[in-house]
Amino acid sequence: MTSRPFLRVLVSPAALCALGFVAALAAVMQYSLRAYVPGSLEPGGFTLENFTALMKPLYARVFLDTVWICFLTAFFTLVVGYPLAYALVHARNVALKSTILVITVTPLFLGEVVRTYSWIVVLGNNGFLNSMLLKSGLIEQPLQLMFTRFGVVTALVHVTLPVMVIMLAAALSHIDRDYERAAASLGAGPIRAFLTVTLPLSTPGIIAGVTTAFAWTFSAFATPQLIGGGRVNMVSNLVYQLGFASFNFPFAASLSVAGLALTFAVLALMRAAARPLERFGPH
Amino acid sequence: MKRLSMALGALALLLTSIPATAQDKLVVSIWGGSWRDMAANIIGKKFTAETGVPVEYITGGTIDRLNKEKLAKGNPESDITFTTSHVGWLYANDGLYEQLDLAKVPNARHLVEQAKISPYHIGTWAYVYTIGYRPDLLKGVAFESWADLWKPEIKGKLAAPDFDPSHLIAVAAMLSGGDAATWEKGQTKLKALKPSFKAYYTNDANSQQLIANGETPVQVILSMNAHYMAGEGVPIQLVIPKEGAVLGIDTVAIMKGSKKADLAYKFINIALDPQVQAEVAKFKKGSPVVLDAKVDADIAKLPGVFTTADQWNKQAIIIDHKLRAEKTAEWRKWFTENIIN
Repeated sequence: MTSRPFLRVLVSPAALCALGFVAALAAVMQYSLRAYVPGSLEPGGFTLENFTALMKPLYARVFLDTVWICFLTAFFTLVVGYPLAYALVHARNVALKSTILVITVTPLFLGEVVRTYSWIVVLGNNGFLNSMLLKSGLIEQPLQLMFTRFGVVTALVHVTLPVMVIMLAAALSHIDRDYERAAASLGAGPIRAFLTVTLPLSTPGIIAGVTTAFAWTFSAFATPQLIGGGRVNMVSNLVYQLGFASFNFPFAASLSVAGLALTFAVLALMRAAARPLERFGPH
Repeated sequence: MKRLSMALGALALLLTSIPATAQDKLVVSIWGGSWRDMAANIIGKKFTAETGVPVEYITGGTIDRLNKEKLAKGNPESDITFTTSHVGWLYANDGLYEQLDLAKVPNARHLVEQAKISPYHIGTWAYVYTIGYRPDLLKGVAFESWADLWKPEIKGKLAAPDFDPSHLIAVAAMLSGGDAATWEKGQTKLKALKPSFKAYYTNDANSQQLIANGETPVQVILSMNAHYMAGEGVPIQLVIPKEGAVLGIDTVAIMKGSKKADLAYKFINIALDPQVQAEVAKFKKGSPVVLDAKVDADIAKLPGVFTTADQWNKQAIIIDHKLRAEKTAEWRKWFTENIIN
């Protein structure tokens, strides 16, 4: 202890937070096992009915949709975010670097709801995108972009992008540039050097970014709620629709517990799938 | 010595004045935004002017406030709570409300019968959920009955609230020969409406945005929202169908355990003052709940603003508030499983 005199003091606040989190989680677990009493705020006795009610195909479909939307969002965020992160790390011009950083990080300061409302303006039938396509003569009728999975994923990619870019940039900045120079000196062109050296070495960043984007998207609420308009639903929307808006807190709690279990299961699968790739990282 | 006595005297005055101020403050729980502003500017100011007692407002969503008061049971955070009629029943069923003595609310003598919700809570203003549409985007389509929502022309154009399906549940049951209590009769009818839906809105702002940008040119819409958007220049036509429009009432109640019940009664009495009611109707374009309110003619003529007993009796579809409190979860679950998804 003498070598770490402040450890206990520094860890205490975190331990208190963890205790609060565990207590809240225990309360949710407890609610998920209680019966709903119509017209009352107090839950009834213990029951497994909330979980058996989840066996309906509707809920399985929404859970699978959620996983698929999370996957699409993580994938497209990676595709868009990697070049941005690469440019951010490798740009020599300080002004350019700052511009990329500001463009990337600014959305974080706007909040999910504001960003989502801006996407409604862009994706609507009379929105920016449809207006441009109609004026250019590329389409004759507005494309249905709102209330579709495409619209939801597009907005979610925007919401998730800053996190992905920051994580990728951190990983890319740790790659020694001498490896690329060595590849170039051995005759590799820039594309080959990137594909055989930089990309494999950035694998840990990609895994971390994709995993975080996936988990981040799993809890998305405002974006699927507003852009999806009830036509595209994720687990959090179901919790809201069936739980909070109708005061059926026990059922909402059981949905939350099932959602949490699914998140852990999918993340464990992703970790297992990514394990063979981790050997490509810098040593 | 003299200086010391003066200092002690000042301290004593300070100590006695602090609890007095806290004691005389009336705490009101209400939604935020324009609802809080309306209560503060129209009711609260008059209350303070008449009693000298300041009003503090606690704001939040319907469910947030309900949960907070449930946790504070017996020692309420607020003295008065404004909430929707059926949610008020949840407060009442949980023993969070004080039983009202309307003899202490003289202005309640002109209260419409429909606003006497329970022994615990009474209406303060009303609105309807009804059909609102954009005639510029739905050329040649007219709405005279709720049944017109089922017309093929409406396919893929309709929006309804995702937070409360009770309006359509009650209407579909009614069109199928039942009512809210026998809502199952309307299930087939409601399923037939599924192709008409384009989206479900989450809140007032979402509803306003979707009808303003033409994304959903017809909505089951809150009358106050439709009037607000019309005032903003959006060409919205609000219809009172021949079967009537679904009534909504926001209510007021005194929290059980409030130590300022007398002040709370004065506040409620002012909320039902005919002049205050007329101002509320003008501000929100809703219905007053007392029949002696002198509402401006241009407000009174708006669809969904009821100023006479005849209008209340003939134009309003009333879903029993207690039944609604008990059935909301069941309706919501059925609607989510069978219509939304």
